[in-house]
Amino acid sequence: MRTDVIRIYKEVHTWTAILAGLALFVAFYAGAITMFKEPLARWATPPGTRVHEVPLERTPELMARTIEARPEVAQQFTLVVDGHEATPARLVWFQRGQVGAAVRGEVPQVWSASIDGSGALQLRPEQPSQLAELVDVLHRTAGIPGDMDIGMGFMGIVSALYAVALVSGVIVLLPTLIKDFFAVRLGKNLKRMWLDAHNVVGIVSLPFHLIMALSGVVFGMHDLFYDAQNELIYREELPQYFRAHSPFVPPPARSEPAAMMPPRQLLDLVHARAPGFAPTSMTYQHAGDTAASVLVRGTEPSYLLRTQGYLLMSAVDGSVLNSYYFPGERNSWTALASSFFSLHFGSFGGLSVRWSYFFLGLAGAFLFYSGNLLWIESRRRTARRDQPAPEQRRSTRLMAAGTVGVCLGCICGISGTIAAAKWLQGRVDNVAVWHMGLYYAVFLGSVGWSFLRGGAQAAVHLLWLASVFTLAIPLTTLLAWVFPSLGLWAHTSAAALSVDLSAAIGCLCFSWMALATARRVRHGPADSVWSAHTVTGPGRA
Amino acid sequence: MNAARLETRRAAIRPDWWSKTLAGVLAGFALAFALSGLFAFLTAGGPAAPNKFQVTMWFVAPAWMAALSLCFLFRSGLRAWLWLGGANVVAWAALYLCHRVAA
Repeated sequence: MRTDVIRIYKEVHTWTAILAGLALFVAFYAGAITMFKEPLARWATPPGTRVHEVPLERTPELMARTIEARPEVAQQFTLVVDGHEATPARLVWFQRGQVGAAVRGEVPQVWSASIDGSGALQLRPEQPSQLAELVDVLHRTAGIPGDMDIGMGFMGIVSALYAVALVSGVIVLLPTLIKDFFAVRLGKNLKRMWLDAHNVVGIVSLPFHLIMALSGVVFGMHDLFYDAQNELIYREELPQYFRAHSPFVPPPARSEPAAMMPPRQLLDLVHARAPGFAPTSMTYQHAGDTAASVLVRGTEPSYLLRTQGYLLMSAVDGSVLNSYYFPGERNSWTALASSFFSLHFGSFGGLSVRWSYFFLGLAGAFLFYSGNLLWIESRRRTARRDQPAPEQRRSTRLMAAGTVGVCLGCICGISGTIAAAKWLQGRVDNVAVWHMGLYYAVFLGSVGWSFLRGGAQAAVHLLWLASVFTLAIPLTTLLAWVFPSLGLWAHTSAAALSVDLSAAIGCLCFSWMALATARRVRHGPADSVWSAHTVTGPGRA
Repeated sequence: MNAARLETRRAAIRPDWWSKTLAGVLAGFALAFALSGLFAFLTAGGPAAPNKFQVTMWFVAPAWMAALSLCFLFRSGLRAWLWLGGANVVAWAALYLCHRVAA
């Protein structure tokens, strides 16, 4: 490899990675947590699910009585098949605040229907926990406030920089790949050690990162791509292609009444079709009409499904209307497109893949963090023998403060807002706004503190803060269990308890990192931005 | 020693940051689109194959990113524009032909 090629790509790598690194850290850390979005939602939902009041066998009665009480619900509602803490009742629907075309950003009210012990129909509005959704929004926008489109467009550009950073990083590493690959040289040369660690994590998880970078570009810019292709390839016919084979486009109502096939019987038909497919919900459209349809969603870990598999059936006789997204029946184009989604979401292979993606996501966050450390380390001013430690450059001190503030601020903010979930529920009106506000307050406070005190000292403080906030997650559950009068709750399902257990382990990790960082700050070499001896704040000239 | 002399004789690659980056972003984007169109027309089923439009859309990202990340290998910004521009002319002409044949 020519040295000038390497030199150019080293510069490409530095620039793209510096520009994208911090946003990618936030996206990866939050993304790792979204692997467990459902357990988190279950953990954060107050008790009171009524899903088991009405067994599946009694759903025909529940559907009929709900529609009798609220005729407009027949247009669209969902039956919960696989119920848990975060599913309020057997039957749920969205009720929009106003009639007419949907308004952007409009959040429809969730309603649920159940039949209580005395046989009375109970309809009520629900306040679902917004916590898991918030972490997902952070993942998709890196915390850029405002309209989701702005944040996702921003992440599309960040993902493009990330793709270029990956290719350039590999080109730079190629000449020494064989020599460096299995070597992590621990020892006096710290930069060498960080570089080895950065390289080994980057190369080992390269396929994962390529998938994330390319799908990130798509998720951020698909509107642009589709619009241009509509003009240039499809002669403006793309909207028809979109609708032609979509399971989300139900047949229009015919306004002739018909009897509905019982849901249990429909599920038996689905089971006969694919025994490995586990249905989670059934969404009805135009119930009671001859054209009534039901969209069955479900999981099947041995297929690369989009997020779930879908089967659109007639709700009258169970005939299949659309199986383009049903495992084993997809055409190769649908299966291929679904696999791209699946590889991004980790929605295949079950729990083991989710945990692998969780750790790959954290390893990715480490990759961006260590990259910034390397940038700082290669600009370090070292002390001459017997000379006092020199002042470090302003740029490296600012980079250290920014890296520590953003990365640890994101960790503290997420832990803090999760820990607050059970305390906010029922005590404030707009829980979602409180969750967002808490995240930003902790995040921006951490960034500010980091620039005020310098990266070295702030790193220790913020790691302890992360440790405390993360400990507050299982501690809240413990408090709820010991003092029921607090009005908190402690779910005992494996999914909810695993959130508490993971947070407890996370707390130990952050504490260990805080101790190690404090040791470095106090006793490490003074000629570094990571020493308390030279740095009092980045403002010092 | 020999390698160093060889290096100077081959003339080092010029960085040309702005012109190369713009070539990768703009010409690379246009090329990725034309190639995605050829993909739609020339693979099984044509553009109307059920749900193929999604794969065709996904095609843009790797094609564009490949052009953007590899365009710094060109000897100069001018060469990046000439090669990518030439590839664009060929690809768009082929796409135009596809439209004509399909019509």
